[in-house]
Amino acid sequence: MALFEPVIMKGIGEIDLTDIDVYERNGGFAGLRKALREMTPDSVTAEVTNSNLRGRGGAGFPTGRKWGFLPKDGRQRYLVVNCDEAEPGTFKDRMLLEYTPLQIIEGIVISAYAIGAKQAYIYIRGEFLNGSRIFRNALAAASSRHYLGERILDTDFSLDLVVHRGAGAYICGEETAQLESIEGKRGEPRLKPPFPAIAGLYGLPTVVNNVETLCYVKHIIERGAQWFAKIGPEKSPGPKIMSVSGHVKKPGNYEIPLGIPARELIEEYAGGLLPGRTLKAFQPGGASSAALFVEDLDVAIDFDSLGAKRTMLGSGGFVVMDDTACMVNCARTLTRFFEHESCGQCTPCREGGQWVARMVARLEAGEGSEEDLRVLDTINSTITGTNLCPLGDSIMPFLASVLKRFPEEFAAHIAHGGCPLKQTPVGAA
Amino acid sequence: MTPERLARGQELIARYPQPQSALIPFLQYCQEQDGYVTLQAMKDAGELVGVTPGEVESIASFYTLLFKERVGKHIIQVCRTLSCSLRGADELQSYIKRKLGIGHLETSADGRFYYEEVECLAACDRAPCLQHNLEFHYDVTPAAFDQLLEAWQTQPPQPAMPAE
Amino acid sequence: MVKLLIDGQEVTVPDGTLVVEAAKELGTQIPVYCYHPKMDPAGLCRICLVEIEKIPKLQIACATRVTEGMVVHTMSPKVAEARRGVLEFLLLNHPLDCPICDKGGECDLQDFTMEYGPGASRLTEPKLHKPKRVDLGPTIVLDEERCILCRRCTRFDDEIAQERNLVVVERGHSSLIGTVDGGDYESYFSGNTTEICPVGALTSKAYRFRARPWDLGHADSVCTQCSVGCNYRVDTRFGKIMRTFTRENPAVDGGWICDRGRYTFNYLYESARVRQPLIRRDRELERATLSEALAVTAEKLGAAAAAGRVGVIGGGRLSDEEAFALQRFAREVLRTNNIDHRARLQKYASPARFGARLTDIDDADLILVFGAVTPEQAPILDLRIRRAVARHGARLVFVGPFKPELAVPFDYVEYTTGAIGDLMEALASGVARGVPDGAPFVAELSKALSDAGKIVAVHNGRNVVAATALERLVETLRGNDKSAGILVVGSQGNARGAEAAGCVPNLGPGYAPVSNPGLTTTEMLQAAAAGKLDALFIVGANPALTFPDGGLARKALETVPFLAVSDQLLTETASFADVVFAAASQFEKRGHVTNLEGRRQAFAQAIEAPVHVAADAAILAGLANAMGRIDVLFDDPDWLFSRLEMAEQAAGTKEPLPRPKLDSAAAPQAEALDAQRKTFAVIPVPKLYAGGGAAAHDPGLEPMRPQPRAIFSEDDALLLGIADGRIVTLAGRNGSITVPARIDARTPAGSVLVTADMPDAPVNRLLDASGTGRVTVTPAEARREVTA
Ligand SMILES: Cc1cc2nc3c(=O)[nH]c(=O)nc-3n(C[C@H](O)[C@H](O)[C@H](O)COP(=O)(O)O)c2cc1C
Ligand code: SF4
Ligand code: FES
Repeated sequence: MALFEPVIMKGIGEIDLTDIDVYERNGGFAGLRKALREMTPDSVTAEVTNSNLRGRGGAGFPTGRKWGFLPKDGRQRYLVVNCDEAEPGTFKDRMLLEYTPLQIIEGIVISAYAIGAKQAYIYIRGEFLNGSRIFRNALAAASSRHYLGERILDTDFSLDLVVHRGAGAYICGEETAQLESIEGKRGEPRLKPPFPAIAGLYGLPTVVNNVETLCYVKHIIERGAQWFAKIGPEKSPGPKIMSVSGHVKKPGNYEIPLGIPARELIEEYAGGLLPGRTLKAFQPGGASSAALFVEDLDVAIDFDSLGAKRTMLGSGGFVVMDDTACMVNCARTLTRFFEHESCGQCTPCREGGQWVARMVARLEAGEGSEEDLRVLDTINSTITGTNLCPLGDSIMPFLASVLKRFPEEFAAHIAHGGCPLKQTPVGAA
Repeated sequence: MTPERLARGQELIARYPQPQSALIPFLQYCQEQDGYVTLQAMKDAGELVGVTPGEVESIASFYTLLFKERVGKHIIQVCRTLSCSLRGADELQSYIKRKLGIGHLETSADGRFYYEEVECLAACDRAPCLQHNLEFHYDVTPAAFDQLLEAWQTQPPQPAMPAE
Repeated sequence: MVKLLIDGQEVTVPDGTLVVEAAKELGTQIPVYCYHPKMDPAGLCRICLVEIEKIPKLQIACATRVTEGMVVHTMSPKVAEARRGVLEFLLLNHPLDCPICDKGGECDLQDFTMEYGPGASRLTEPKLHKPKRVDLGPTIVLDEERCILCRRCTRFDDEIAQERNLVVVERGHSSLIGTVDGGDYESYFSGNTTEICPVGALTSKAYRFRARPWDLGHADSVCTQCSVGCNYRVDTRFGKIMRTFTRENPAVDGGWICDRGRYTFNYLYESARVRQPLIRRDRELERATLSEALAVTAEKLGAAAAAGRVGVIGGGRLSDEEAFALQRFAREVLRTNNIDHRARLQKYASPARFGARLTDIDDADLILVFGAVTPEQAPILDLRIRRAVARHGARLVFVGPFKPELAVPFDYVEYTTGAIGDLMEALASGVARGVPDGAPFVAELSKALSDAGKIVAVHNGRNVVAATALERLVETLRGNDKSAGILVVGSQGNARGAEAAGCVPNLGPGYAPVSNPGLTTTEMLQAAAAGKLDALFIVGANPALTFPDGGLARKALETVPFLAVSDQLLTETASFADVVFAAASQFEKRGHVTNLEGRRQAFAQAIEAPVHVAADAAILAGLANAMGRIDVLFDDPDWLFSRLEMAEQAAGTKEPLPRPKLDSAAAPQAEALDAQRKTFAVIPVPKLYAGGGAAAHDPGLEPMRPQPRAIFSEDDALLLGIADGRIVTLAGRNGSITVPARIDARTPAGSVLVTADMPDAPVNRLLDASGTGRVTVTPAEARREVTA
């Protein structure tokens, strides 16, 4: 079976796209030229709207519609580019940053042009020091060739792009927390409304987009909305990078047309499971998504099909767990993650998250009880949907899904006083 | 505040419409020099951007890459989240802790190594992974770690938390 | 207006109303923790979740605004479940130490758990521990384990106080309430956080473990520590004051009180309290009965009055009724107009016209402060200024002899007290003619005045020339269709009430001019010092410490053949007395006081006075009685109040009010700088916790009491060869004081800022009656520096 011809991953691993000459020779800045020279901001927005591009940062909100929320009141507006990638299992934005930063810049310039932003910020996760260095170099190169700065390519459009590094906080990936963080505050999500489109960075209208989203904008402008809209399902179209990790032969980033079955991603793209192993569970959209199981392998990978399965595409962090994986251990790892990353503003997320993490850790250690299981069963409704931002809603889905599918595994931990599975980790010597 | 810090602070402020945006970059800059965010750096930062020292502490303590106490010159941060855990992170962690003789969030007595288990580093395809002074190392086995350790020990001193 | 349904009941509320407030209209209580009506919704605790039809997820009532036709359910099963969840989470690591918690009985966690909480505990976890009994500084102790991280306290410190020293540190469930590097939380408003904390996390050191709320008696009172007149409740147990608590009056205090007001009551139980009248026998003050004291005083005052050689000082610390009684005692019993409440720098306590309301500050565009250091002299007024500036974009301009420390940004115009009048003249004519002239900032200020729609001027009432010019300026502004008004910050809590009740030499109650004006305080002291008075009666005033010319005050008190003082404490002034009456505190009587905006407010009696202590009204009535004028004064507050009102009606005074009489020492003169720097001009600096009375003796205020200081500019310090912390002696016209020096760039060259009203280092040794003075500065012997 022929794999999908990569769009935004094209050339990665083959040529040095951080070199501006190489990038230009391979179609670099064609979209930018077209947008700025041949299109009006409104027609760029219209093209993106017509493409049905949905945000690649996690929430899957239609990009063109988001841009359309900006009030036309003459106030200055900002574009904030989300490169804070910290959703467990997701590693695509870091790759884009390190391997094709000029493509990100091109997407940023086009998008800023479309929304009328003269100032853009890219928020790069603090841990991505190397990536931010590569990006700064790319930024300097792009500026020196007039793709950025004053009067870009001698048009009337100017854009200043500032690199802002994070300092260690998953929650700063949430858009309003990110704005707070850029403003030099604690990265705590804001109460909404007002939404960023009305009152965002420094109180001004702001669009926050993921880097992958913006890379696609370049290609939509170059090849037209129809090209994009025709790939994959109508309401959830286009290519998307899936970060596949865990128990597969070839973990890595794969650009797929949305809509292919999960089975194909695992078997065709990621080389299938390790020899002699069987599939136990997979998480299709990062730590925040509920797990799916062997019976779900035919689910189509797109926003709506996964939604219908009560899980989500999210940011595309696809984690595969085979029969050697202990579900209690996996749940412990993820609940601890949310406990550690809760900003602490909301009671259910802060206290509930911590309680859940402690219960699961206790269960894993073999010190849990039936009572813990009963509590975990009922706590979902009081933690989920009761918080100010979606982080709190992410605590339970994975845990609840594996608890439901593999109750015996949890019971066994209680009965055995520990993990009954002899786990043989792949990476260990 | 030293004139050098003031100058750097003003440079950072110039990037943004509001001075407070320079707060975290400024603390990162101070940390690069001092090894952690000192009380003096917090005071300087507050003065620079016009917030109280209390606010600086509140903000600084939110972010895990800003250290409020002195840590080792080699900051070793090993991923502990799902994808790495599925591929041997737990064993790697135990190995490193034994090797360095320190635990999670601890600095070795000689002040050289600081060890921390951190959340997903976005390198799940090459698990288990770790960062040493913010530099990535992939597919780290215990044997690979030994080699890294040797290399770090002979390499010339560098900032543990580079600012930019 | 928007119509909506809450639990099936219809309610119509203004656009933009929060669901939680709309529910209150119906008497429906939606539980809240983080929400506080005075602060921006934060939406953190999630206890207020309600169900709104057509919205799938529960919404927080504290941040959701009503919309037309909204249907809200506050008691549905889904809501109940969410509430139970939140409470369960909050109790997870909570110590459940209600039996020993000060908040027990008025704790929202306890209350809501009873009402909405989980029936049985499912908590098998060992509790996580956090620091307990964290000493947050002079006033507050924090129990981090009881804290539910609602952040009301930190948001108060940010949004209301604009100070931002109390913050959240760390994140997630490790979050703590804290200060930088574990330092003190120092704020004049800190006590408010103990009230708004919905649980027992923040407790007042003054109140810890003293009583349970259900055992407390309450009295509605008004604070008299400054002239703002904040409303509060005095909580008592077994006849003793346990604590004070806000009693919101939106027009006055907005529901807050300052720490000076909140914590000043324990002085009542200190040994310095005068609990029995004292009479000087063989040079020593000895205990006496009230009738003895009355007899001696009546005799001496009567004789002095007969000779026309008597004077009465006081009124600003009395109730309106008593101030009325005091002037009546002077005028009708002693037959003298020698009565004056002014024992400080202030010359008048009200604007003659164009008075503003405190609430005018809230929506002012421009706030001009002339000389009044509002955070130190009227803290809750200052809180309004902070809010207006920080939240409503008002511009604040401070005009005065030195740059004060204010919590919000302001423009500073340096002006010596003597010259402020000239500035106002220039502004008045600048605005009138539309062509500002003079110094650039005069032009700039005139422009700001012309641009503003609403202006409030705050003055300290020191300089009458300035006051008159200010009134002209406001008249011009009003003529230009602007809203403009004046507030005068009083020097004593009831300065304005005393003025209005007739405690000035030339004006009777209701500002009715008297035919034969008497002597001002300065003139009385001069006369006494010159041997021209036979008796002085000082009631609730302490000129020995607060009268600007301290030398004159002390000489007068020494020289006058008979001195009677009525006070609660043995003050610097009382120590000169021949008779000291043990006066009741405000808590031990009832009556009215008038705040700086002219609002007359009633206060109730909270506790009984000790047996030998009497209210001033009773002392005055007793004296009148002893002097055979039984018909002139009764001690009943209602009787006095009705007489005061009658007198005011009879006076029928209209604006502009006549001014209290001035004397030759009234206006401070603009002074030239001493270019040689042989002498320095003294600028007294007010401090909230300074003073010789309650502040000096209240154990609760002890940790906050300021250190006296002499503050120099950097250049002058260099010239004098003094370093920060060096002890210096300032010698002036009436003696010297020895205090640590400080260096602060904000000090004007050639001047020294000296903490006012410090008993150990009285600045009035250095000043003349107009409040100005010059000193020489000598560093103390080396090796005597103190450390900061
Ligand atoms: C807890 C949390 C973490 C998030 N982390 C990221 C992130 O790391 N990167 C990202 O692009 N979006 C992240 N998001 C989604 C953003 O809030 C936002 O929806 C996205 O950046 C919008 O870009 P898009 O429309 O291009 O997807 C996160 C959201 C939440 C609630
Ligand atoms: S100390 Fe009290 S007011 Fe402050 S966050 Fe905790 S519970 Fe809320
Ligand atoms: S009161 Fe509404 S969230 Fe706290």
